[in-house]
Amino acid sequence: MTAPAAQKTEDKLLEASGITLSFGGVNALRGVDLIVRRGDLLSIIGPNGAGKTSFLNCISGRYRPTGGSIAFEGQSIDRRPTSARAGLGIARTFQNLALFAHMSVLDNIMVGRHHLLKSGFLRGGLYWLGGAQREELTHRRRVEEIIELLEIEQIRHAIAGTLSYGMRKRVELARALAVEPKLLLLDEPMAGMNLEEKDDMARYIVEINREWGVTVIMIEHDMGVVMDLSDRVAVLNYGEKIADDVPERVSADPHVRAAYLGEDDAAA
Amino acid sequence: MYAPLIWAKTMPRHDLPPVPFGGHLPDELATCPRLIRHHGRMHANESALREKAFGIWQEMTWGQALDRTRSIALGLRELGVGEGDVVAFAGQNRPDLLFTEIASHAVGALSLGIYKDSLRDEMGYLVDHAGVCVMVVEDEEQVDKLLDLGDAIPTLRRIVYCDPRGMLKHDDSRLMAMADLVASGNAAHDREPQLFDALVDATRPDAPAILCTTSGTTSHPKIAVLKSGPFLRHGMSFLEVDPKGPEDDYVSVLPLPWIGEQVNAVAHFLLARIRLNFVEDEETTNNDMREIGPSCVLLAPRVWEAMAADIKAKMIESTPLKRFLYDQAFRLAERALNDGQRSVIADLLLGRALRDRLGLSYMRSAATGGAPLGPDVFRFFRAIGVPLRQVYGQTEMVGVYCAHRFDDVDFDTVGMPFRDVEIRIDQPDRNGLGEVVVRHPGMFAGYYRNEEATKADLRDGWMYTGDAGYLNARGHLIVLDRMRDLAKLSNGDRFAPQYLENRLKFSPYVGECVVLGQDRDWVTAMICIRYSIVSKWAEARRISFTTYSDLSARPEVRELIRKEVAAINDVLPESQRIGRFLLLYKELDADDGELTRTRKLRRGTINERYADLIEALYSDRRNVDIDTTITLQDGRRQRIRTNLAIETLIEPSARTRGKRTQAVA
Repeated sequence: MTAPAAQKTEDKLLEASGITLSFGGVNALRGVDLIVRRGDLLSIIGPNGAGKTSFLNCISGRYRPTGGSIAFEGQSIDRRPTSARAGLGIARTFQNLALFAHMSVLDNIMVGRHHLLKSGFLRGGLYWLGGAQREELTHRRRVEEIIELLEIEQIRHAIAGTLSYGMRKRVELARALAVEPKLLLLDEPMAGMNLEEKDDMARYIVEINREWGVTVIMIEHDMGVVMDLSDRVAVLNYGEKIADDVPERVSADPHVRAAYLGEDDAAA
Repeated sequence: MYAPLIWAKTMPRHDLPPVPFGGHLPDELATCPRLIRHHGRMHANESALREKAFGIWQEMTWGQALDRTRSIALGLRELGVGEGDVVAFAGQNRPDLLFTEIASHAVGALSLGIYKDSLRDEMGYLVDHAGVCVMVVEDEEQVDKLLDLGDAIPTLRRIVYCDPRGMLKHDDSRLMAMADLVASGNAAHDREPQLFDALVDATRPDAPAILCTTSGTTSHPKIAVLKSGPFLRHGMSFLEVDPKGPEDDYVSVLPLPWIGEQVNAVAHFLLARIRLNFVEDEETTNNDMREIGPSCVLLAPRVWEAMAADIKAKMIESTPLKRFLYDQAFRLAERALNDGQRSVIADLLLGRALRDRLGLSYMRSAATGGAPLGPDVFRFFRAIGVPLRQVYGQTEMVGVYCAHRFDDVDFDTVGMPFRDVEIRIDQPDRNGLGEVVVRHPGMFAGYYRNEEATKADLRDGWMYTGDAGYLNARGHLIVLDRMRDLAKLSNGDRFAPQYLENRLKFSPYVGECVVLGQDRDWVTAMICIRYSIVSKWAEARRISFTTYSDLSARPEVRELIRKEVAAINDVLPESQRIGRFLLLYKELDADDGELTRTRKLRRGTINERYADLIEALYSDRRNVDIDTTITLQDGRRQRIRTNLAIETLIEPSARTRGKRTQAVA
């Protein structure tokens, strides 16, 4: 158990420096620096509108920052489009679900494998001859492992749009995992879930992080979950990072308490 | 009007497989390890079982089954397990747990199955009481319970887990992966290739091998000791009545520790080589069942009841045309059934589709047991062409020893005893009703480490079952209820609460219920609605509700159940009719001690917990105020404050007045 911990402290997986994002006159992010080490489970917290999702969007490539740069595994990814970032091993889930509602759970997850598939239009047409079948089988095997991890066997063939909210969240996580990410970005994975579903989701996130070794950045509002699971917590407020430390110290920080937990007097 | 319709003979008949080993199991095969070695050699490349993993049915041959059993057995021996030790297992039914059971017999140890949903302390009691030294568990869930028990289980030396997920965080020195156990077993086999054979040769048919917990309706479960020889030979008697063979597919979903599953998944698997199929997950059971299309099943009455209720509920929601077709076809099917035959048209219209939907298309032998099944459910399945029969038995008696023969099914009875089984009725009353007392060569040897209970239940070689029943003129056994649960009204009329409860539960809207009336003037009931169905019913009628308690308290729901109870009252003799009922504010639950793990009612606990409600049912009150706290399944506690209304169907005053008039007359 000590070896991965030591590794954690050295190996930078993601380095964001001076990220600035403006929409017209609104500064969503103002010079945010963040270093994520390989194997970390990092939570980003902050009040509504603090820029958490914007920051995640900058990493995934959905937004292009107006200033600053992001390096992934030591290389700048500023000029890479979203699709190329998926190829590098960055996957995400969305705050508001973004599944293909009319497709089955299995197909939704298989979409996550798309960038790993090599068969093109022509080879796909020669299903048995071109090796496309063999390729699909290997990928299906991996998808089944994910299905087992997230315990969604019973809805494998269900149409995504018919599922409960909690289940759709799980399927979305499954699709993100299918990308084989090195870095997984989770935008409020537990929002709108009941206690039992939260418990399960927390367990999956820990397993993905500790046992599958995937680095996780998570935006979450449930402070109990954040404090229990995270190795580190970063706090954003009005587009600025005001704290970045281990959970115990962050929750004791007077600035954080003022900004996030709403204790006015502590901030002075 | 229906006369020109085509009748078919009876149930679909298939060729019956012969009884294995010519009906006589020789001593050199009369232990589980010897049988698996025999088949592993004789049928090495034939399919023994299938397990669904990663969405695919993965097959295992008898040769592989033998190898796996040997690896586990030698691995256990490496851990120091030997003669007289106890090896326990817990988890969802998996091949490895089954092999663990057989492997523990191979090293001279006893096997003990523990239900996977046992609470921590229940598990602790069993592990401690039986002195379990090695426990094989499926996953983290079971491991957590054992680790939580700390010092309470000093005899437990090793915990072997099959699924390594979530284990990284534990560093208990007792933990060991199944893969490591198997590896150490393989190493031992490489060192001493003759060892396993020597061990299997040393197993004795007359040695205790299987420890089986009884359902324990009262307190801690008792543990029945079964010897391999008698256990397997009793399995043979079962096969005489219900022949099975290698072509039969069996889906193993009942808990493996339960005696019924022991007989099917261990005895019949090893004797008749029926193919076992292990489902992927509890929640995929229905789908997996349909994929397999099993030819034999044993399911608890509540499963059959739920299936029937489900179909009825779906028909209620269906279109008028479909409902019409269903009703017509069903009526036809029932008419044919009354004539002891089957209607081909009804089968084409309805039976075939329903059987397919339920995964019962290839069903040759379907059984229900564990508790009485309402005759209505019975008729339902027979009518749609499922050859359902009642079986009856106890853990102590190696499960089933009474069953309907294929062509002799009577809904009110539990059938006739097997060969070698003797039944007598102890202390019968004037109607021949008394305690069912049984003996047969396969029966248990006593309770494990419980002399007192053994003396109480096992007298002069006869087992006192505690069930009340009688034998009818045709030699069929009829079981009404537990002896101590037979109730008497204050006027001396006897009634069987369970029978009434089953009648009530046939309604799709009733989930559980408790019928009361001992030493009282009339019969009453406490009813739990079936939430899944009543909630749909309420939604369809735009009746708003929040929780289970809230839904139960709706006057519309009360009216709905009232109609159901009234309909049942119509067909009951006067003394048995339900005079009043109320709808409970929570579901009865095993975690609250109100039901056993096999979902039988624990009447003592219920009578105590709901004493106020019961009093109210027999008072003049029209409603009761409730203020209580319940624990939900996820651990949250919820305070419930509600006003329970009491529904009266038969005015008690009218009834007592009627009685008085009679008395005067």
